[in-house]
Amino acid sequence: MKHIVKILSLLLAVSAFWIGLLQAAIIPPGYNTWLLPIYFVVSLGCYGLLMVGLGLMQFPTCPQEALLLQHDIAEAKDFFKHKGVDVGSD
Amino acid sequence: MELADLAVGLLLSSISLSIFTYYTFWVIILPFVDSDHFIHKYFLPQDYAILVPVFAGVTLLSLLSVFIGMVMLKSKKKKA
Repeated sequence: MKHIVKILSLLLAVSAFWIGLLQAAIIPPGYNTWLLPIYFVVSLGCYGLLMVGLGLMQFPTCPQEALLLQHDIAEAKDFFKHKGVDVGSD
Repeated sequence: MELADLAVGLLLSSISLSIFTYYTFWVIILPFVDSDHFIHKYFLPQDYAILVPVFAGVTLLSLLSVFIGMVMLKSKKKKA
């Protein structure tokens, strides 16, 4: 319950700050009010996508370890099949 | 370094960067440019700068809820 209260209070603070900025008339008068918050949301989404892309590009694969793992799996399956345990489909 | 991973990662990052620069130009820089500059030809009218992200967000939310609903229905059917 407390987490929701925290999030809602943060949202209220941001909107109050935004309305205060509007009243102070820092931005040009012909500007639509919804543009700047939507811009921040879009840029946040873009930043998340960029981080995902960068992480994908830097993700390390270990081909030798993968091969050893496959060998281990085959060995374990063999062992259990001889003991009579059902190891499922391949 | 998996080539497929590199390609997909590069594609995602380039898409995100292009969307960010286009939207930044649209919302922040263009209002301060004179209205008879040639650059205004490449950008839709500013009303679309709100409609397009809102529409995309609404579509995303509805697709997510449809997906969650389908998964919930499928799990309930399997249990019964």
